[in-house]
Amino acid sequence: MTLVGTSARRADGEDKVRGAARYGMDYLEHGTLVAKVLRSTVPAARITRLDCSKAASMPGVRAVATAADAPGLSGLMIVKDQSLFARDVIRYVGEPLAAVTADTAEQAEAALAAIDVSLDELEPVLDLEQALAQGTRLIHPDWESYETAMPGPREGNLAWETRVERGDVDTAFDTAHLVVEDEYRTQRQHQSPIEPHAAVARYEQGRYVVHTPTQFPHNVRGRIAELLGIRLSDVRVIVPTIGGGFGGKLDVMVEPFACVLARKTGRPVRILNSRSEEMTTCGPRENAIVRLRTAVASDGTILAQDGVVLADNGANSSGETVAVANVAPLVLGGTYRIPNARYASKVAYTNTTPTAAFRGVNGPYCVYAQEQHLDHIARELGMDRKELRMNNLIRRGESMVNGQQLDDAFLVEAMDKVDEIRPWQDAQAERRPFRGVAVVPLTWLTNPLPAAASVKLEEDGTATVTCAGAEIGTGAVTTGVLQIVAERLGLRLEDVRVSPTDTDTGGFDGGAQGSRTTYGMGNAALDAATKVRDQVLEVAAGMLEAAVDDLEIVDGSVRVSGVPDQQVAIPSVVGTAMFDSGPIGASGKFATPPIPFDSGCMAGAAVTSFPAALYQAHMTEVEVDPDTGRVTVLRYVVAQDVGRAINPQMIEGQIQGGVLQGIGYALFENLRLGDNGEVIDDNLESYRLPTAADAPPIEAAILENPCSYGPLGAKGAAEPPIIPVAAVIGCAVADAIGKPINELPLTPFAVLQAIKES
Amino acid sequence: MSYSFTLNGQPVEATAAGMTSLLSVLRDQSGLLGAKRGCGEGRCGACTVLVDGSPVDSCIYPVANAEGTAVRTVEGLASHDEPLTRIQDALLEHGGVQCGACIPGVVMTLTALLETESNTDDSTVRSSLTGNICRCTGYQKIIDAAQAAASSNGGPR
Ligand code: FES
Ligand code: FES
Repeated sequence: MTLVGTSARRADGEDKVRGAARYGMDYLEHGTLVAKVLRSTVPAARITRLDCSKAASMPGVRAVATAADAPGLSGLMIVKDQSLFARDVIRYVGEPLAAVTADTAEQAEAALAAIDVSLDELEPVLDLEQALAQGTRLIHPDWESYETAMPGPREGNLAWETRVERGDVDTAFDTAHLVVEDEYRTQRQHQSPIEPHAAVARYEQGRYVVHTPTQFPHNVRGRIAELLGIRLSDVRVIVPTIGGGFGGKLDVMVEPFACVLARKTGRPVRILNSRSEEMTTCGPRENAIVRLRTAVASDGTILAQDGVVLADNGANSSGETVAVANVAPLVLGGTYRIPNARYASKVAYTNTTPTAAFRGVNGPYCVYAQEQHLDHIARELGMDRKELRMNNLIRRGESMVNGQQLDDAFLVEAMDKVDEIRPWQDAQAERRPFRGVAVVPLTWLTNPLPAAASVKLEEDGTATVTCAGAEIGTGAVTTGVLQIVAERLGLRLEDVRVSPTDTDTGGFDGGAQGSRTTYGMGNAALDAATKVRDQVLEVAAGMLEAAVDDLEIVDGSVRVSGVPDQQVAIPSVVGTAMFDSGPIGASGKFATPPIPFDSGCMAGAAVTSFPAALYQAHMTEVEVDPDTGRVTVLRYVVAQDVGRAINPQMIEGQIQGGVLQGIGYALFENLRLGDNGEVIDDNLESYRLPTAADAPPIEAAILENPCSYGPLGAKGAAEPPIIPVAAVIGCAVADAIGKPINELPLTPFAVLQAIKES
Repeated sequence: MSYSFTLNGQPVEATAAGMTSLLSVLRDQSGLLGAKRGCGEGRCGACTVLVDGSPVDSCIYPVANAEGTAVRTVEGLASHDEPLTRIQDALLEHGGVQCGACIPGVVMTLTALLETESNTDDSTVRSSLTGNICRCTGYQKIIDAAQAAASSNGGPR
C-alpha cells in the first residue's frame, strides 16, 4: 500500500462541502457576551483623559477594560514594544483604547460612544523615509527601555536592522565593467481570508480558555500571556476550523480582549471582526523600498551587490516584520552567486497600522526588485535575460550569501523544466508588440520551527494523532500528516484521525507558516508512528512466534512476510498489548538539524539560513492593452521542487492559489493609507481581491528533489508559489512595453503612464 | 414583522424587521451556520443561498424579499445521512476545497448553474463564479470540479 504520493481526499472535506464545518466565526458558547473595541481615530496623540465611567453603567454593559487590565509589553518574538491598549500615547489610527462587553452588540457600541477621550494630538510620522531622517519625532521615545529577544542594531525610529556582509564589496565596485543602480517601491497587501478574526474566551479555574481560528496556537498562547502579564500555561488555545489565514492569523489579534473581559465578567466573551475592522486593524504585508546597486563583469557575471531594504513596521513590532527582516538579504542572495555582498534590511516605525506576516514574508518585493534590476543589467549589456540568469544561478554545492552551501540546489533543473514546457526560444521567436515574456528562478526556505505529536492505537485498530498543528486549509494536517502516519502504520487513511488542535493536549508546534506543517509536524508524527509501529511489531512477534524483522503490516494486519495465513489483526495486537506491555502509543518530536552557515557575516539576524531549501522557476507570458494599460496574463508555468510530493493534488492547489495571490499583488491589490495614516481600503469593493475572471491557466510541474531530513524526503510546498509572481509579471510587462516600471502594483493607470512616457 | 417562506423545503415564519438580512435570520434564528458572513457587504459571496433557484448574497438580501419564496441553503442539498451531491463530491475529488470558508457559497452558485445551464464551458463557469471570492484555491480546481459534475449524467444529485 502506498498512500504517500496519492491525491487522497482531505479528511475534513465532507463537513466543509456540507456546510457543517464549524469555523472560528461560527463558534459560540452558552451565555456568550459580545465585545467591541474602541479604537483611535487619530494617528499620534497623547491621551490626557480616558473616562469609561459613563460607559460602564450603561444598559447591558458587563465590563469595560483599559490599559490597566493588560499590563504587559509584548511583540512578535524580537522587540517587546506593544501594549494591548494604548497607554499614554496613541501611535496609529485603529490603536485600541478600551474594550467593552455587553449583552448585545448594539449595547456595546452605544457604550463605546459614551467613553470620554481627550487627546493632545502630535505630528504624525507617516512616511518610511521621513521616519529615519535626522530630527524626526521619535514614535517610541522609550525605545531603549524595551526588552529584546536578541541583540541587534536599532535606534530611535529604526525598530530593527539586520546586516549581511561578505567579501570585498568596495573593491569589486571599483574594478567592475558596469555598475547598475535602481530603486523599487512596493505597497501593502492585505491577507483578507474569507473568515475574519474571531475569538471566544472564558475564564475557568483560574485559566483562560480561548477558541480562536489561529494558524499558530502556541504563539497566540504566549502572546496573550505576555500582553496580560500572566503565565503562558494559564492560557489554553483551542482551534476550530480555520477559514484561511495566509499569515494574517499567525499572531494574536482579538483574543486578548476576549480574555480580559471574560475574567472581568466571569462569562464567555466573543469578539468577531467586521470586514472593515479586519482590513483596517489586522496587519498587512509591509510596504517597502528596495535599493540595489550591482557590479557586473562584461560577460554578465555578478561581482558584487549592495542592497538596502526599507520596510515599514507600522507603529509597533506586533507583526512579523522585525522577526523576519533578515529574510530580505537571504532571498536577495539566495538564488544567484553574489561573491561580494553588503545588505542592510531596515525596519522603521511609522504612525500607521502595524504590518505583519503575509505568505512569503519579505520575499515578493525583494524578488520583484532583484529581477527587474537583473533585466536592467541585461539591457545595459545587451544580453539575453535568461542567459544572464542561467550564468549566475547557484549550482549544486555553491553557497548563498550567508555562506550556506546548497548541496541539493535544483535551480537549473527547475529552469530546464519550465523551458521544456514552454521553450524560451519559442517564446522569444513568437514575440509580438505588447506581448512580453519572462522567467524567474528562486530559492526559498521551509520554516524550521520544531514540532511534537503523539500517536496512539485504539482498541478497534484505528490510530489517533494528537498535536497542536493547525489545519489552515492547505490539507497539511488533514491529508499530508495523516497520509504519512497511515503509510507508516500500514493502515487505511480513513482509519487514522487527528484530534482537535489544542495547546493543552498537543505539544509545541511552530504553526502553519512557511510551509512547515507537512515538514515539521510530518516529521514529528512520523517519529511517533515509527515508535508505534515498533511496539505493534514487538507484540505481534510474540503472538506469531516470529522475529520482528520477518513481520510486515498489510491492510490492518501484521503478518509474517511471505506467509499470508500467519497473521494477526491489529485490534488483537492492541488487545494483547493492553494487559501485557501496556496500551500502544508514543510521542514523537522534531527539530531541524543545524544548518552550517557563516555566522560572522550577519548582525541582527533572527532568520540566519534557509533550512530545507526549495527551488522553483516561474515563467509567464503577458499581453498589455496599449489603449487601457490593462495587463492580461496569457500563460503561467511553475516548476517547483517539493522534496517529495506527499499529496500532488494538494500541492497543485497551493501553486494555483499562491500564484493568483501573487497576481493580485502584482496587478491591483494595494491597501492604501490616507493623510492620517488611516487605511483607506476598508472594504472589498475598493480593495479588490482576484476573482475567477482574473485567474489565468496555470501549468504546474512538481519536482522531487528529496530533503535528507524531511519526512520521507518532503520539504515545504505551500508558501513559495506567491513569491516570484510579481517579479516575473513585472519583467514580462516591462518586456511588453519596452520600459521598466519600478513600482507595484502594475495598475492600468501605471502601465498606461509608462507607455505614454516612453 | 413576520415573513413566510420555505427553507430547504420546510415552511418557516421569520419574525424580524424587514430590512434584516436573510443571512442573519438563517444564522441567528434558524441555526443554519453553513452560509458564512465573509464580508457582510455583498462582495465575497460566502453567504450565497438560492432564492427561488437564483443565487443571492444573503448578507444584503432583506428578509422581507424572501416572503413567499423558496430559500435553499447548503444544508438543504444533502442531509447528513445522504450522500453528497455531485458538485459537493466533485469539489472534493478535484481538490477544490482548501480552508472551505467560501465553499458553502460556491456550492450554491454551482448548484444553480448546473440546474439552469446546459453549457458549462470554462468561461460560463468562470463568469458564474465571479461573485464568489475564494482566497485559497486560485479557482482552477473549483472550475474543474464544476465541469466534471456537469458532465456526469442527470441533475445535480
Ligand atoms: S458575506 Fe455576503 S457577500 Fe460577503
Ligand atoms: S477554500 Fe478558502 S476561501 Fe475558498
